[in-house]
Amino acid sequence: MVNYGGDEVSALVVDIGSSSVRAGYAGDDTPKAIISSYYGYKANTPDADVQMGEAEPQGDASTEPAKPKNDAKLYLGQHGPSIWREGMEIGNPVRDGTIFDYNPIPALISHALVDVMRSNPSEHPILVTEPAWNTPADRERMAEIMFEEFQVPAFYIANTGVLNAFAAGKGSALVIDVGHSMASITPVVDGFVLRKGLVYSALPKLVHAHARHILVGSTQTRRGIDLYPHQLIANKSPVEPSAPPRFTLREDRMPGTTDSWKTWYENREVDEWIQSVAGVLDQGWNEQAAAARPPRQYEFPTGYNMYFGPERYQVGEQFFYHSPQLVASNPNLPKNIPTLLSESLRACDPDLRQVLMGNVVLTGGGSLFAGFADRLETELLRNFPHVKIHAPGNPIERRYGGWLGGSILASLGTFHQLWISKEEWQEHGRAIVGQRCK
Amino acid sequence: MAISASDIRSALSLPVPSTPGPSQPSQPALRRPQIQPAGKPANQSTKKPEGISRELYALIGPSAPSLAAHLAKPRLKQKPNLGGSGKVKWEWRPFKNDARGDSLQLSHWMKVTSDPEAEYPFVKYNVQSAPFTYSQDEYTRFLEDKEWTKEETDYLFNIVNEYDSRWYVVYDRYEYPEGPARTLEDLKDRYYSVCRKLIRNRPWAGDESSKIQFISSYQFDKEREVTRKGYIASLETRTAAEIAEEEALFIELKRLEQNERRFRKDRDELLRTLLGVDSGLPDVIGEEDGPVGLVGETGTSGFKKKKGVKGGVGIGDESPMTPSVISLGPPVPRRPQSAKSVAQDAIHCIVRTDPPASSTPVQKTTHVPAHLRSFKIPLPKTAIAPKVTQALTELGVQHARLVMPTRENCMQIESLLDAATALVETKKVVDRVEQEIRVLRVRLGMRGSEGLEGGGEDDADKEADKGRGTPMEIDEGKEEEGRAQSVASTKSARGRKQSRRSISVSSIDTSASMSTRAGTKRQKRS
Repeated sequence: MVNYGGDEVSALVVDIGSSSVRAGYAGDDTPKAIISSYYGYKANTPDADVQMGEAEPQGDASTEPAKPKNDAKLYLGQHGPSIWREGMEIGNPVRDGTIFDYNPIPALISHALVDVMRSNPSEHPILVTEPAWNTPADRERMAEIMFEEFQVPAFYIANTGVLNAFAAGKGSALVIDVGHSMASITPVVDGFVLRKGLVYSALPKLVHAHARHILVGSTQTRRGIDLYPHQLIANKSPVEPSAPPRFTLREDRMPGTTDSWKTWYENREVDEWIQSVAGVLDQGWNEQAAAARPPRQYEFPTGYNMYFGPERYQVGEQFFYHSPQLVASNPNLPKNIPTLLSESLRACDPDLRQVLMGNVVLTGGGSLFAGFADRLETELLRNFPHVKIHAPGNPIERRYGGWLGGSILASLGTFHQLWISKEEWQEHGRAIVGQRCK
Repeated sequence: MAISASDIRSALSLPVPSTPGPSQPSQPALRRPQIQPAGKPANQSTKKPEGISRELYALIGPSAPSLAAHLAKPRLKQKPNLGGSGKVKWEWRPFKNDARGDSLQLSHWMKVTSDPEAEYPFVKYNVQSAPFTYSQDEYTRFLEDKEWTKEETDYLFNIVNEYDSRWYVVYDRYEYPEGPARTLEDLKDRYYSVCRKLIRNRPWAGDESSKIQFISSYQFDKEREVTRKGYIASLETRTAAEIAEEEALFIELKRLEQNERRFRKDRDELLRTLLGVDSGLPDVIGEEDGPVGLVGETGTSGFKKKKGVKGGVGIGDESPMTPSVISLGPPVPRRPQSAKSVAQDAIHCIVRTDPPASSTPVQKTTHVPAHLRSFKIPLPKTAIAPKVTQALTELGVQHARLVMPTRENCMQIESLLDAATALVETKKVVDRVEQEIRVLRVRLGMRGSEGLEGGGEDDADKEADKGRGTPMEIDEGKEEEGRAQSVASTKSARGRKQSRRSISVSSIDTSASMSTRAGTKRQKRS
């Protein structure tokens, strides 16, 4: 027990990301509860069995159109947003990696901890993760939610960059985290984030938009593809590849379908297509190489199916290379991976660069993009002679690296002195969060 | 194979018959306790245990029982004892973490048997570094710096302490409002200089050297660090073209070095060849008669053969008749020399030598290149070379370089070196013998106290006289040898007899080698 420095106090680890909320017991290797960060809500339902308890008296709730009203009914988890409901809107409390809407957060956490894990948060210390660019106000808000609403005995908030490094077993690392909406590069030294070297961009969103553009836009050879979700399709019949689909929509549902729900589900379709079809060439863009790869078939919910050839490799290229025309036309283009890398390293001390390049940790669900790790290695080796990339082959470790690091951290015997206890919270107030969680 | 009665008896496990001897009583009951070791049942040792052959038991005898224990009936492997047989009870127990300043009660699973009052095992890892602090007074006296305000220095010390001197993190988190931008080196420089000043100006409990050592652990050379970082940065900012150029230059350098080496080798080769011709060697006569070598090079087998053929005629080599010798006995078959060429050789004083015979005569003899005769003068053994040199210098013989390395001169110097070597070796023997004599003397003296002293001393004296009186006619025959003897003459008279004897041997040796021109090989015998 003392041998590996572990001492489990049955702490809980909660990792809130833009696509999913992960929760589980510290010391486990997989989160017990993985629920979608997206939630459904109906704005004006009379019944008020909201799980939110005391809603936050936040004034900015009305300024954001995407936010539900405080008294809205929320549909969470497995049977939440993915089930069609009339008039149900879809919301996500996370934007650009950080939480911008705290109203549904208690409900989401409660759903994960109480409804899925069947645990009582007031009995367990809780470790929550935050992205490296989280603001002090945000982390204090999170502490407040935990102490005031969940009555946790102890709380700690840790940085996902650091936790990803810990999950890889490293104290110092250059963490390349490609998530659902954000790609970030975080230099970590001795368990501390070097904030000056921290860079991030909404690159995955660009890739997603590009993929959507490829699918929806019509070309010379085919029309734009309909991305109707299967909930809206009454029946369909099989068709030949690239033949026009034969399906009928559920007209009864069409009027009650909200735009946000439709967009969300279409985005899911695009994501699924990216995950199964899209890829990136490992040696940079090359027409011949892309054409030489075998095409891959994909069938959409409408029954439309086709073989995707070289175009599927254009999607991944967006991670690493932006054409000059694209850059010129879009001044706010998210930075691609090589740009982020060079920016991050330029901000680091020259002494550190070698150390960091020898400890590159690739993590995040977005990094599971086919061919990403190989291409990244090619890009890195082009500029640095000695590069070692730690990219776990296990998808669970890659997708939930932040949670895993938190699980490791919160089960260490030496960590238990760092918890912010309820007593300290009441005594020192919000300032203790910044002092303790450096 | 002879089978004794006892063998049969033991094979049939019959009791040993009582063989009454003069000292033993005939009753077995009385006899047994005498042979058996005490404390053993008598019948057990007489009976052969199961599993041991009779012959083996006869060998090991009564000590068999210890072995018989090992030959017990085999059992199954014993089950490992995995830490106690009973169940271990665990309980969910709250613990107190002394590293915490508050009353947070966390719980963990512990064995019921463990001590509930024991200190939390991870507290010992909570190590705090002792931060440097300074008073206002100290600051105004020692630590004033026009670049830094006291407030900023305080801030620096706080943050360094907060991040346990992790300088990269300190630099990352360093945000002093309205202060100038600081580099990592600025921060380190300020921190370490303040620490050094504090150590220097505070009373020090230990001795001076430990203080200096402590101060040196806070040494920081800002200029050097900045230069170093600059170098690293410039290494990183090289463009691909620059890197390629650097690599090309490096390869070019390697190539030049290699060329240089090859040129030097070639030149040496050339010089060797040219000097070989220039250094007064007889004209190189083609390949037809084999390579022209030096006299000293003739191998052992060649020498023996020659000797066998020529009988006692040792001096013949110096005459122009030598080629005939060569034609007679080389190990490699070669065509006999024509009479004409022999005659020509005689006219032009050409000396032909055998190629060195290799130890494996079947192999083709390797080509012996042309070489200077003076290069082939054998050197004395490295172990005694300095002594030989010393002896020769003492004798005033300049042997390091031959002014005219003719054939005769070479042979002369060879024999000189042989003689000198022999001299030195003789001296060694003399020393040893002298030592032996001294030891014997002492022993004799000890015996002399018992009355035998006088006779022993007489013998020794007589022997010494004999040694002194023996003329050294052979030694005097050669001037060098005589002089070498003078070195040895510093030794005691007792040693002299020995040295004379061996020197006379060696001088014979030398003369023999002079006559047969093979001193190097002969020398080994002395």
